[in-house]
Amino acid sequence: MRKDSITRLLAMIDQIALNMRANGCDHEVAEQVAQHLEKFWSPKMKSAVIEHCSTGPSEVSAITGKAVHCLHLIQKAKSS
Amino acid sequence: MLNFYQPQPDQGTPEKITGKQVTLQIDGVDVTVAEGTSVMRAASQSSVKIPRLCATDQLESFGSCRVCLVEIQGRKGYPASCTTPVEAGMQVRTQSDQLAKLRRNVMELYISDHPLDCLTCPTNGDCELQDTAGELGLREVRYGYSGANHLDSGKDTTNPYFTFDASKCIVCSRCVRACEEVQGTFALTVDGRGFDSVISAGQGEDFMSSECVSCGACVDACPTATLTEKSIIELGKPEHSVVTTCAYCGVGCSFQAEMKGDQVVRMTPHKQGKANQGHACVKGRFAFGYVTHKDRITQPMIRNSIAEEWTTVSWDEAVQFAAQRFTDIQAAHGKNSIGAISSSRCTNEEVYLVQKMVRTGFGNNNIDTCARVCHSPTGFGLKTTLGESAGTQTFASVDEADVVIVMGANPTDAHPVFASRLKRRLRAGAKLIVIDPRKIELVSSPHIKAEFHLPVRPGTNVTVLNALAHVIISEERHAEDYINERSDVEAFAKWRNFILDEKHSPENTADITGIDAAELRGAARLYAQAANAAIFYGLGVTEHSQGSTAVMAIANLAMLTGNLGREGVGVNPLRGQNNVQGSCDMGSFPHELPGYRHISDSQTRQLFEDEWKVSLDAEPGLRIPNMFDAALDGDFKGLYCQGEDIAQSDPNTQHVEAALTALECLVVQDIFLNETAKFAHVFLPGATFLEKDGTFTNAERRISRVRKAIAPLSGKADWQATMAFANALGCNMTYEHPSEIMAEIARLTPTFAGVSYEKLDQLGSIQWPCNAAAPEGTPIMHVDEFVRGKGFFALTEYVPTDERANRKFPLLLTTGRILSQYNVGAQTRRTENSQWHPEDIVEIHPHDAEERGISQGDWIGIQSRVGETVLRAEVTERVTPGVIYTTFHHPVSGANVITTENSDWATNCPEYKVTAVQVSKVSQPSSWQKRQKNYHDEQLQLLEKALQ
Ligand code: SF4
Ligand code: SF4
Ligand code: SF4
Ligand code: FES
Repeated sequence: MRKDSITRLLAMIDQIALNMRANGCDHEVAEQVAQHLEKFWSPKMKSAVIEHCSTGPSEVSAITGKAVHCLHLIQKAKSS
Repeated sequence: MLNFYQPQPDQGTPEKITGKQVTLQIDGVDVTVAEGTSVMRAASQSSVKIPRLCATDQLESFGSCRVCLVEIQGRKGYPASCTTPVEAGMQVRTQSDQLAKLRRNVMELYISDHPLDCLTCPTNGDCELQDTAGELGLREVRYGYSGANHLDSGKDTTNPYFTFDASKCIVCSRCVRACEEVQGTFALTVDGRGFDSVISAGQGEDFMSSECVSCGACVDACPTATLTEKSIIELGKPEHSVVTTCAYCGVGCSFQAEMKGDQVVRMTPHKQGKANQGHACVKGRFAFGYVTHKDRITQPMIRNSIAEEWTTVSWDEAVQFAAQRFTDIQAAHGKNSIGAISSSRCTNEEVYLVQKMVRTGFGNNNIDTCARVCHSPTGFGLKTTLGESAGTQTFASVDEADVVIVMGANPTDAHPVFASRLKRRLRAGAKLIVIDPRKIELVSSPHIKAEFHLPVRPGTNVTVLNALAHVIISEERHAEDYINERSDVEAFAKWRNFILDEKHSPENTADITGIDAAELRGAARLYAQAANAAIFYGLGVTEHSQGSTAVMAIANLAMLTGNLGREGVGVNPLRGQNNVQGSCDMGSFPHELPGYRHISDSQTRQLFEDEWKVSLDAEPGLRIPNMFDAALDGDFKGLYCQGEDIAQSDPNTQHVEAALTALECLVVQDIFLNETAKFAHVFLPGATFLEKDGTFTNAERRISRVRKAIAPLSGKADWQATMAFANALGCNMTYEHPSEIMAEIARLTPTFAGVSYEKLDQLGSIQWPCNAAAPEGTPIMHVDEFVRGKGFFALTEYVPTDERANRKFPLLLTTGRILSQYNVGAQTRRTENSQWHPEDIVEIHPHDAEERGISQGDWIGIQSRVGETVLRAEVTERVTPGVIYTTFHHPVSGANVITTENSDWATNCPEYKVTAVQVSKVSQPSSWQKRQKNYHDEQLQLLEKALQ
């Protein structure tokens, strides 16, 4: 995936999180964002952001980092 | 089913729907009708025709011609049957020597001033004046034919679709009343008095330069040949007809397609059509010439690369070529490297087949539909709050509304027949609130004035909706009992705290929205105090980065005030295209199976797997913008695009073009070589709505039949083309008729369980859900409880778009539609409708124009951060300072070269309505426009060689 595409996906997660920010504490919001991604994103988009966030330092906002982490847990739970 | 042509029956005066029934005697026979019905209509219901000239059942009776006189026992004189309401026990006589004499006298006067060229008259055999003279047995005209008459009056032929031949006019004023009552435009007047009276369009203007919007209601109403369709004058009377549904906007008007052989000569709005009740607009009624336009491509074509000439081939060769390419791509790049986009212009059965082909033939869920770019936020927002991704009402329900909010919609242009109905209700006293950056026509038009116009700054809808809710709840104007009974009270309590925050008050948000706080408070109070208040909204709500939030905020407002679940209220998305609702219902989104059931739901998947005999992928596929990104990433190589012109309609054209160019195989199915097809390798000729059977579902969830009027020009309807392609990919589709596809949909979709072609023929149309619980459909949703159980008040935090005006791009561009053109214009540009709108123009406020030295008609360059285009300027106060506005009906305009790929947070619906731009006076087209022209010319040459 091009760097541009990853940047765009991360920006989309930031945007989703911002729009959900009134829904609760960071943890709740991260969980809801992850559920949203699970429900609407293709497997490749999900794995691209998970991979990006798990390979070394990246310029990802805290809430997006948390959401992607939750998404990772959802994926793991599904495959186990 | 084809029928011999018959004019639609006319009962003389409109139907009255009242609880009470009244019995009277007409010519000695008992007749029972609703109270308030006219004697004329009552007679007609018992098959007695009373002669008439100035009455028709589309208009309130007027009582001017005196041809319809009757005798009523116990009453003096001869009352006009059209203006006399029935009474219990009334005894009416419709024929007597005296009545015959009186009627003949009147008729003689009319005929003395009427040319007697019946044999050569275009409406010979279809003329109420002629019929009435026959019915009355008129044999002589004692006044001669040379009185002070209008026989030499000229013809007005300026309207491209109908003529006005004043010499034939009997001044019955049916046209004037149709323009007022049915259409609501008030373009016609009766000038002069008595024998000198004449009908005129505006102040001595011709039709084309008057206020006339060419809806044709006057043509329908005219009992003579005065107002006649040019097609009838040219081709003569139709000889057979079929009832079908308009393929333009989401109102879904029903039409009688009237034909001669295989030629459609006229489209007459069908009186039994529940969405339109005999009315239509200039698009549906007149703009069907594109069906036989010379640009139609009717042969399949293939080519190896987009720089090559096309080769025309057989259907079989074309689908085998496409299937081989797609199979090769999947072998080289994986299962998910191909996908499809289906069209909201195609039938339910056709879009159902495309998603079935993707899920069973492609083996993935890479299916999306053009609803992505218009109403996907409606689906998300209404599902979240109310539990169903659809509007809640019938159009007719607006007749019971006391207050109506129109937000981000321009019904007089985009949903004209609904606009006429709304105007009628407003003229009867309902109040209107318009929330729109532009002063749309409804804000102020003849006999209509909005109580409030809130000229919202583009991109701040959510703030306005939150402020309205803040006023209602802080002033305790909410419907407490309704909320306690119908909503999730915990969610409501949370939402209440959120919305009561002072940051949402009109005063604190005025700087963001640009709306005067007192005006906003006034509007909130008006909405909250109404016995019945309805909200109608359009793409000006959904096509924003917060589109889904705004839809949820609208649903919140309706729940807050108890305005859901009965007539006259509700949340009503005005869908853009004819079958947006249907294409969403049919599982055209990558995460949902038909009936809005998530693909990860194993029970639902099992149901489809058992029927389709394949196993389905449980993961969502790619949405349209994801497909473009994946194409540029090199992961997505094959696309089947059915009837959508993504190269013109999707945002950031240069990004879309780059993505299309990156594809190894693009299959386009369309009726014309559209902008997208210029990047295609396979062209499958599409069929118009007149060439196929199927169903469309309009904005009211109303499923209506589309019936074949003529054979498909290419030999295949779209469902057959998709089936051929699917079968070439190894699917086993064997449908003989779309009714079999609908039967499968009904088997698999609970909300469609009771739908069948037989029932549609019987009932005319059906609003889903239609199942055992609602065998004849569901006009109003959420009556006793919401589909999701308790209504959910979603928190609607306002997040400003990234697309903000700044020093470099100080203006905000917003986009919209115009009455005469339809979306990308592929159809309407190929009709005489272009006379009204030959090019897209950009509206700019005088203040912004002056600052930049721009005058009316100047070419101006519009630059955004993604591109530039050049359009002609219209300097007008319809837009507020800081905002410019354009339409996107012509490809050369490149409106979407400047719109960005910003999108709704929840659904990726593009933010067409907000683009930060700068404008300046220029003297030549933009570089994109020059490139576009060259590419267009090149591709046309490649096509011409193939078709030679
Ligand atoms: S134009 Fe037709 S409808 Fe209008 S007044 Fe003349 S005859 Fe009647
Ligand atoms: S076509 Fe429609 S708008 Fe024009 S004059 Fe007739 S009724 Fe009025
Ligand atoms: S209002 Fe819409 S559906 Fe009705 S005729 Fe016009 S375009 Fe067709
Ligand atoms: S039809 Fe009744 S007065 Fe003309």
